Amino acid sequence: MEKIVLPDIKDLHKIEVYKANDGYTAINKALSQSPDDLIEQVKKSGLRGRGGAAFLAGLKWSFMPKTNDKPKYLCVNGDESEPGSFKDRQIFELNPHQLIEGTLITCYAIGAKTAYVYIRGEYHKWIKLFQDALDDAYEAGFVGEKMKETFNTDFACEIYIHKGAGAYICGEETSLMNSIEGQRGYPRVKPPFPAQNGLWGCPTTINNVETIANVPKIINKGWEWFSKIGEPKHPGTILFGISGHVNNPGVYELPSGTLLTDIIYKYAGGIPGDKKILCVIPGGSSMPPLRGDGIEGVKMDAESLKAAGSSIGTGGIIVMDEDTDLVKVLARIAKFYYHESCGQCTPCREGTSWLVRLLDRIGQGNGSSHDLDMLIDVASNIEGNTICALGEAAAWPVRFMVSRFRDYFEKRVKKEIVLPVKNKVHSMRDTAFPLDSP
Amino acid sequence: MSTFTLNDEEIEFKPGQTIIEAAKDNGTTIPHFCWHPKLSISGNCRVCLVELENIPKLVIACSTQATEGMVVYSESEKTLEARNAVMEFLLINHPLDCPICDEAGECKLQDYAYKHSIGESRYVEEKTHKDKRVQLGPRVMFDGDRCISCSLCIRFCDEIVGEPELTFIKRGNGVTISTFPGKQMENKYSLNTVDICPVGALTNTDFRFKTRVWDLSSNPSICTGCSRGCNIDVWVINNEIKRLTPSFNKEVNSYWMCDDGRLNTFKHVNAKDRVDGAHLRKDGQLIKVSWDEAFANASSELKNITNKEIAFIGSAFSTCEDNYLFTKFAKDVIGCKNIDFIRHTNPDFGDELLRQNDLTPNTMGAELTGVSPKQGGLNLDGIVQGIKSGKIKGLFIMEDDLLEAYPELEKSLPSLELLIVLSSNFNKTTAFADFVFPAATFAEKNGTFINFNGRVQRIKPAVETTDLDRSLDGMAMSRLDKFGTSFDRWAIGNKHDARASWKIISGLSVLFDKKLKYKMSENVFDDMSKSIDAFKGLDYDIIGKKGVLLKDKLNEVTQTV
Repeated sequence: MEKIVLPDIKDLHKIEVYKANDGYTAINKALSQSPDDLIEQVKKSGLRGRGGAAFLAGLKWSFMPKTNDKPKYLCVNGDESEPGSFKDRQIFELNPHQLIEGTLITCYAIGAKTAYVYIRGEYHKWIKLFQDALDDAYEAGFVGEKMKETFNTDFACEIYIHKGAGAYICGEETSLMNSIEGQRGYPRVKPPFPAQNGLWGCPTTINNVETIANVPKIINKGWEWFSKIGEPKHPGTILFGISGHVNNPGVYELPSGTLLTDIIYKYAGGIPGDKKILCVIPGGSSMPPLRGDGIEGVKMDAESLKAAGSSIGTGGIIVMDEDTDLVKVLARIAKFYYHESCGQCTPCREGTSWLVRLLDRIGQGNGSSHDLDMLIDVASNIEGNTICALGEAAAWPVRFMVSRFRDYFEKRVKKEIVLPVKNKVHSMRDTAFPLDSP
Repeated sequence: MSTFTLNDEEIEFKPGQTIIEAAKDNGTTIPHFCWHPKLSISGNCRVCLVELENIPKLVIACSTQATEGMVVYSESEKTLEARNAVMEFLLINHPLDCPICDEAGECKLQDYAYKHSIGESRYVEEKTHKDKRVQLGPRVMFDGDRCISCSLCIRFCDEIVGEPELTFIKRGNGVTISTFPGKQMENKYSLNTVDICPVGALTNTDFRFKTRVWDLSSNPSICTGCSRGCNIDVWVINNEIKRLTPSFNKEVNSYWMCDDGRLNTFKHVNAKDRVDGAHLRKDGQLIKVSWDEAFANASSELKNITNKEIAFIGSAFSTCEDNYLFTKFAKDVIGCKNIDFIRHTNPDFGDELLRQNDLTPNTMGAELTGVSPKQGGLNLDGIVQGIKSGKIKGLFIMEDDLLEAYPELEKSLPSLELLIVLSSNFNKTTAFADFVFPAATFAEKNGTFINFNGRVQRIKPAVETTDLDRSLDGMAMSRLDKFGTSFDRWAIGNKHDARASWKIISGLSVLFDKKLKYKMSENVFDDMSKSIDAFKGLDYDIIGKKGVLLKDKLNEVTQTV
């Protein structure tokens, strides 16, 4: 199986190695075509966004106005803050030039002359690695004004790295733009959508790092080639970051539609101690969790996961074995969204704190069956009523975890489950992230 | 005209209007906290979520533009469910301190809790606690617990005043309002944030804990702090003004007024130095006498001075009616040509938003009613010189403090043969007066002011005097006014013996050959509209609640806020 984003080539992050492997030829090829042709090719390739919503990338690009009365921008979203997601990091580290090349092609296709690569602040190391690669690309004349000479073209594009400052919400596309503008990281009310009114009021496209990193190969090898990889409705490979109770956690690039069980057992080496799986979150912590006894035959692509009652999200798979304390897991997840709620709109600001307080109380053994109903109710009241998708991100894990594991939660509030002795990982987590009350 | 359907009713909208705006224009208020017609849309409170046909998710009415044929439900089951949910969220961490909260009684959250909430709380966890009693600036106090983070105050400072002094700090459930480090909210309009705050998070340090708002009566009037003529409500309890708040007039002040106007234009009404009853000087002392005695003595002394040796100083603080009769008295009754008024300006007071450099409410009114020297008469400078030189022997001043404006007259004023002053409060000039007649303040009379761009606006009484009765004279009544008895401490308000200046002049004129008899200020105005071109065709009904622009001013540029 061919890997698109993270091929097994040694030292690919070095510009000369990347060049030796057809690097910076796709941009050359792209520049000889019209932007509309490029958008059409990406549309036909079926490339879908890898940031969570799995929206058709080419279609998104086509929303950009064709007029030139205002500058246009591309934001490459590398905020990667979703718990359980750590795939973009691999791209910054192992294949940064393909991301740079993809950024250039995208900018050309949408008519942008400036791109911002927004990288989460905690990624100090990867910001540096990517900056080094970007410096090399500038020096080699692949980015910036020198492009004109290098590629014998009128097109030139600047790429800037923008460091996040530690807020999950800044991975939300409109907060990301506010953050770049130097504003408070508050999501904007949509409409207007970024393609009409984005960065500094100008047309803007925001794509995930992995999405952009796919672009050069699509241009070089053709959309037909790409569209035939994996599931037809969600083609290409996906970087699956698997963590939790598996023997070999890590990032695996596999065709879309790969069986979830294959990823867990074939690639990630199964569960330590051969325990049973209690719960799997397939796409980062905000996605609806699946029961361990129901993952047989579930394929990892947007459509299949939707049918299975969850979502592909960022492809961050979190596996929990049968001894996991789900109340604590859910409390931890709820605590994350509570901590990361920007506080702008009412349902999320107030609702996330309510969820945490309820779950804390249940965790302390003071919960009741009625509190479980309340959790679902509060979560449902947040869902759909907020400015941005953090509302859903906070509500889904609670609503789906409680309803799908109602039997487990009922037993817990009735104190019918005796919790196993904590394993080493659990106790370490305790020290690292104390679950104090809000 | 485009239309859409709101709750099964077809309503019209203008292109670009949002659902909430179109609904408002058609008489339907969609509940909202963070939306304000004059501020940008923030969409954060989520109370205005409404259901659209064929759209699965609810949308916020404040930011969603109306489109042709759109079908909106603001009272459907789904909408109400969401509204209840949002109200519940807003209330879970809101302190239950309504009994000691200044906002109670005029609190949007309280009102909505009754109207749009299920009426009980399911929340049994500990409430979030934030900072209480944060002094955001010299005039505004902040209570973090009560704040619902609607951002109206932040947007007001940013967008209306243009001084971004407030911001959100922290995030999530910890979000609270703050000024920037080492800075205070001290813009000249800071108290408007208290008005637009939908809860009791922002309070006016001058008003907080003074009274319960439902015990106040409110009467419409005009601010006297400068020539803008901001429309206001005068809030009274126990016959004492407790606060002024702006009232909407899109041609004058929009929803706003400045802090100076709000705080510094009513304290004298309640002050201890009010002139209470007519006074005349006997043996060097001002003593209170009956009105009749004061009128009789004043008129006879006036008759002893020739019309060339007397001067009249009117006032831009007085109404048109006052100035009109004042002029008429000087001109027709006394036959005096020396008449003018003092202009009070401060080049540093005005700004782009509301404040004007002219610190009086009725300069144009004084001008139009003829408070200016007649042919051959002395103007203000001439009058001042005349007082110094002794050429002027008698002086009649209405509602102004000549000595405050011209301190150099301190030595000459005592040598005047006659000094008659109409004043609401004792001041530097009254100290030398032979007669002091108690003038009613702006809050104790009917009348009109003309603002800087020629808009005639009415003032109405809010405070009783011995001359004015709350119910008989049509003032608004509070619960206490209606049901209080003289045994109740709060119902024995202090009533001053004062009259509107026009009425004093009218009373005085009765003792002269030419009598200026009028029953009400409205009659004075009607007379004025007959004899002065600028007022032609106007009466109190036409002026109405929002005022009208004088005809010859209509063509000039009108400044709207």
